[in-house]
Amino acid sequence: MLCLKKAFATSLTILAGTSVFADQWDTTLEQIQSQYIVPKYQQFSTSANQLADATHALCAAPSKASLSAAQMAFSQNINDWQQVQWLNFGPVTYFMRYYAYEYWPDKKGVTQRQLRNLSSDPSMMTAPKFWTSASIAVRGMTAIESLLFHGDFNTIQRKSDCEVLEAISRHHAKTTEDVLSQWQQSKATDWIFPEEGASVTPEHLVLEQLVQQWLEHMSVVKDAKLETPIGYKDRPNLKLAEFYRSEASLAAIITNLKAYRTLYHVGQPSLYDTAIAEQPELAKALEAALADSLKLALQLPQDYFTGDYSQDERVALAKPLVRAISNSQTQLTNLVTALGFQIGFNSRDGD
Amino acid sequence: MLSRRAFLTSSLAALSIPTWASALPIEANGELFISAFSKSKTAHYIGAFGSNGQLRWSMPLAERAHAPVVHPTHSVVGAVARRPGFYIDFFNPLSGEAIKRITPLSDHHFYGHAVFSNDGLQLITQENHYPTGQGKIVIRRWPDGEVLNEYSSGGIGPHESVLMDDDILVIANGGLRTHPDNDREIMNLDTMAPNVTYLSLKDGTLKNQVRHTNTLHKLSIRHLDVNSSGVVALGFQYQGELWEDVPLVALSSLHSNQLDYLDMPEHVRARFKQYCGSVCFDKSGETLAISTPRGGLVAYWDVPSKTFLGVDNCRDVCGLVATIRKHEFVLTSGTGKQLISQPRQHQTTQINQLAEVHWDNHLRRIDLDI
Repeated sequence: MLCLKKAFATSLTILAGTSVFADQWDTTLEQIQSQYIVPKYQQFSTSANQLADATHALCAAPSKASLSAAQMAFSQNINDWQQVQWLNFGPVTYFMRYYAYEYWPDKKGVTQRQLRNLSSDPSMMTAPKFWTSASIAVRGMTAIESLLFHGDFNTIQRKSDCEVLEAISRHHAKTTEDVLSQWQQSKATDWIFPEEGASVTPEHLVLEQLVQQWLEHMSVVKDAKLETPIGYKDRPNLKLAEFYRSEASLAAIITNLKAYRTLYHVGQPSLYDTAIAEQPELAKALEAALADSLKLALQLPQDYFTGDYSQDERVALAKPLVRAISNSQTQLTNLVTALGFQIGFNSRDGD
Repeated sequence: MLSRRAFLTSSLAALSIPTWASALPIEANGELFISAFSKSKTAHYIGAFGSNGQLRWSMPLAERAHAPVVHPTHSVVGAVARRPGFYIDFFNPLSGEAIKRITPLSDHHFYGHAVFSNDGLQLITQENHYPTGQGKIVIRRWPDGEVLNEYSSGGIGPHESVLMDDDILVIANGGLRTHPDNDREIMNLDTMAPNVTYLSLKDGTLKNQVRHTNTLHKLSIRHLDVNSSGVVALGFQYQGELWEDVPLVALSSLHSNQLDYLDMPEHVRARFKQYCGSVCFDKSGETLAISTPRGGLVAYWDVPSKTFLGVDNCRDVCGLVATIRKHEFVLTSGTGKQLISQPRQHQTTQINQLAEVHWDNHLRRIDLDI
């Protein structure tokens, strides 16, 4: 909407109050984009292309070896994804790309059902505009994982299964290239919606949204990735664990927690640098909380999601990590609030 | 025998409460806007600001409130506690005087909203009988608070209700069963069945009740408004997955058994993040506004043609109320902003931003015409 600039004195006071940090946030944001988002998406895009190549090779010469190579390429690709998964902002928010990357948790087996349908006639995937109307359940890594690891599909012996796999992998690689390209050709501030009477800089607004994404992602890690599948508060259902078919559920959490630490320290000045200068106690508390979470995740047994553990055993093992991630959320909230970011009053209310 | 109106007048007179018309200050320009707000996690208030955005009055509250309730004739404003709410505190916003506290029935809690009857003689609340989850509409005599009637709301989780006329109360039964021991946990996600209910206040009979198809049973009907033509607008909060393509806004009416879902561009619908905040018609009833704090925007529709008009972007916006002018709204946000929007002119003006103030979910207006 057309805006009439009519800020009153109060707004001007706030603007003056925040402008002290404006240059710092400009640089920090620019470096988060250039040193984190773009290179991590570059990695993700590279491995998505390698996955597409590997599935092409599998379909050209089906064998256990070529299937294994495709599975390994998939594992690398989802690991790269875990480094940018926290960021549901910018190019990935268009065309449902974010949710198409990973249709999870798929509680009703929609992906398998739709894949079986596609496999009955893979030629439908070559129709014009197929991908613009295709279900998000068959556009990304959840579908690829099913085709590579689910017993219902056999990409070695059933050509149509492999054709579907190849088409989805190529689409996934193309999507990722597009997201990368858009990040390379834009500024992060291009992806926010300008509002009337903005009393902070666009860079501040973007960082605020990134922090909100980070906080929301911590909830996803704690709730959806850890608590829900193991039955922390309810009945367990390990099939709800992320990428459980490829046995990557714990690795995904660890990569997420590592990514948080990298994000905190990327750039000069990094978020951490500014925080330690302005709010040293809170900055250190967050640093310790993030380190603690990662340490506890690394201490979980490698077969935590796949081994023969009872619900009580899994819950007992998870408790320290759940508490540590909750503490990370609290510390991050405290810090960014003290630094002048609004992380949501009504938007986090839920009523 | 003392008439009901005479009883009210004498009761309020005994409390020394003037009418709005006699008491509103001239500087308010005929309008006063009321909202709860917070300054920190522990400092909660209810306050009133004029059309220039300046805070004219505020009172501290024990806990965070959700929506104000405004008496139709006398200078009384209530702060309804946020779900699970256990009080409504009433004030005279012109003198700052605390008038009364009303608490829910035993084993019940409020949902954050309440409404006065058109004549101001009754206070109507939505309550949760939490041992059973049954939704209740409780009618109390104002100002003494004596319970006159309690009716079933026609569903679970009656979050907000509005008066269609002197008799019909329209209720948004959100469908979510919760318990104050763990108030953010939904106990019936798989079986929830939200509905909009048209209830007679005379005898508690259901005049109409409409719900979604079964596939949309997680689409909680949470907030609503009604215009002078009897068109009811509904804002939803979806309890399913973020990626699911579900309608978020609908129109309803007393004599229709279907919800009329309103379209919006998909890129706008996606920005809602499945969450509508406040629902509000303008003075003419022809423009509908729906806020989404999670999406950071207010979306507008032309009601007669049911067409989408556009959006105002505003972080953490939720409070929304019509002004005395057609097609014009005041918006408030968790970042402390107060805006005036004329969506048909594509014009938005910030009237003020109060430092350290987080305006809470819902905004109400008092005007001197009453």
